[in-house]
Amino acid sequence: MMLAIYHLYPDLLNLYGDRGNIIAFRRRCEWRGIPVQVREINLGERIDFSDADFLFFGGGSDREQDLMAEDLADRKDNLRKAFEDGLVTLAICGGYQLLGRYYRTLSGQVIPGLNLLDFYTLAGTTRLIGNVAVEIPLPGRMVRVSGFENHSGQTFLGEIKPFGRVLSGHGNNGSDATEGVRYKNVFCSYMHGPLLPKNPALTDYFIQLALERRGRDGFLAPLDNGFEEAANRVMLSRLKVL
Amino acid sequence: MPLRLCAAVWAGKTVAALSRMLGYRGSSLPGHVALRIYSGTLKALARRARKGVVLVTGTNGKTTTNNMIAQVLTGAGHSVIINREGANMLPGIATAFVRGTGVNPAYAFDYAVLEVDEASFPRMVEQVKPDLVVVTNFFRDQLDRYGELDKTISFIREALRKLPRTRLVLNADDPLVAQLGRIGLKTGYFGLAPHGRVLDTSGASREARFCPLCGMNLHYSFYHYSQLGLYECTGCGFTRPDPELQGWEAVSGIEETTCRVALHGQDYRLALPTQGFYNLYNALAAFCAGSTLGLDPEMVVQNLRHYRPETGRLQHFRHHGRPLYLNLVKNPAGFNESLAILLAARGSKDVYIAINDNAADGRDISWLWDVDFELLADPNLGIARFLCSGQRAEEMAVRLKYAGVPPGRIKAEPKIENTVRDMLEGRTDAAYLLATYTALWPTEKALSALTDGK
Ligand SMILES: [Zn+2]
Repeated sequence: MMLAIYHLYPDLLNLYGDRGNIIAFRRRCEWRGIPVQVREINLGERIDFSDADFLFFGGGSDREQDLMAEDLADRKDNLRKAFEDGLVTLAICGGYQLLGRYYRTLSGQVIPGLNLLDFYTLAGTTRLIGNVAVEIPLPGRMVRVSGFENHSGQTFLGEIKPFGRVLSGHGNNGSDATEGVRYKNVFCSYMHGPLLPKNPALTDYFIQLALERRGRDGFLAPLDNGFEEAANRVMLSRLKVL
Repeated sequence: MPLRLCAAVWAGKTVAALSRMLGYRGSSLPGHVALRIYSGTLKALARRARKGVVLVTGTNGKTTTNNMIAQVLTGAGHSVIINREGANMLPGIATAFVRGTGVNPAYAFDYAVLEVDEASFPRMVEQVKPDLVVVTNFFRDQLDRYGELDKTISFIREALRKLPRTRLVLNADDPLVAQLGRIGLKTGYFGLAPHGRVLDTSGASREARFCPLCGMNLHYSFYHYSQLGLYECTGCGFTRPDPELQGWEAVSGIEETTCRVALHGQDYRLALPTQGFYNLYNALAAFCAGSTLGLDPEMVVQNLRHYRPETGRLQHFRHHGRPLYLNLVKNPAGFNESLAILLAARGSKDVYIAINDNAADGRDISWLWDVDFELLADPNLGIARFLCSGQRAEEMAVRLKYAGVPPGRIKAEPKIENTVRDMLEGRTDAAYLLATYTALWPTEKALSALTDGK
């Protein structure tokens, strides 16, 4: 069985080294002998989201997000079905905002989102920028991950769980200490950095979920994470949360 | 002569002398002080340029291009004021004037040749009306946010519109730069004809996939690198302008980069004593600027032949006969070009990469994931060791590991001096050192102290 990574709109949404997340997922499969394939999905390409094992949305500028929203509008139901069915998804920054109910600009204009997840985003006057540390619950343990955030939108959650709790930095909105969103196997975050390479526990958890969704054993052979953990430690100790 | 200007220049000079005595590099403090005392310092001192003010802006190659232009002007016997070491925002530029002029208003010089940060360009030209503006290229820098590059370019465009007498020298191969030729100013273009290394695909940033004029897709016949190449808009027909100064038969060797240059029906042979294909672009820009300023092309070529790179612009060191090359890296396009140099080099080598994340480097280092490190995973390149250093040494090691480099060949040691020492103990034919801005000086310092020098 081949795990299929779907990288959405790499032409439009590829900022801040987003592709690092794809590279990390792919490599950690390959190093364990799990066959994996990356498919780049561009505007207008008709795909069935339920064929994907790992779906990735990156960030983009406003203009590009509009193009993406338009392209996805008539496939919303297909995407929702895949989410309900446990598709492992990571959406960062602009990709994150798009999955919510709406984005309200400073002038009060309301731009509808895909309305797949229960949250909304308000444009802020200051950008929330900097290194960020977040505590994330994984089955049976908590992990501390680090990344870099850079967003002006402030996101507020409705009836939905956050991805994690902010230890240092701004997170969703700078006020309620939440970071990102988790719904089933859909993970959204403002952390780029990119997120997955230096947080291997998280990457492995995503791989495990993807395998289990296909009815496979989610056991993953351990890998040497020396560099990854060292890199994460450097930032966590700089942010004084180690 | 306003007294305030006098006081400002004097105070700036005092600060410059003091910081030299104390051993600071302080390249913008004297200008800061002078501008605080008299905000018109820059404007007043720039007027002392008898023949003209040249501004060089763009993302990559500003410092080198600026230095090359200064070199060809100096070589032609002109007196020149120049800002060095990338001090390219207003205080840094004011420093150059404060250092280079006297308090006496009779003190004048022929040209001011100044590299200007893209974001500072609009404010700069409010103070100083340039006679010539040279634009090298536009890439997304690691400091940029969404759409920032578009905004920067549009601010530069608006600023240029207010300078009807200014002449432009533009890179014809970069659509983001060449579009500035549509403003209607007198414009000279430089460019590079296809050569052995052209690509039919490119990792161009998104900003340049679409026409800067109408937003439709740009069609490329070939790429030099990133979005530089032969392009044509599928919508409005915007295409690469025919450059009046064109390089061709480009060859990038180990010690020398050469090409032929066609200018006004004549053929010149350009040779640079440095590696790196992208340096040709800088030299073509300087050549075009020199020719626009009326210099004799033969003399320009002569002077460029003796160009000496500044710190961190592919500087050569030697250690027990082993050559070491130091280069500054600051964004994916420039980093990829630095990698191209070491990929082209024969023989065994060590690679040293120092990444800091201070404000001047960019706090966000995620741009490292947009650099094509995957090319370094090829086991036939003769790379013995990858030594990662600087504040983000470990993260650089992660990047290399995920690029496919065997982890056993990667080391991470944040302390720059230790890593340089380790690198000097290597037995390879050569070593390549790449460092971000604030990691560059400590690397250079360690190299100067520990090697036989340049
Ligand atoms: Zn067009």
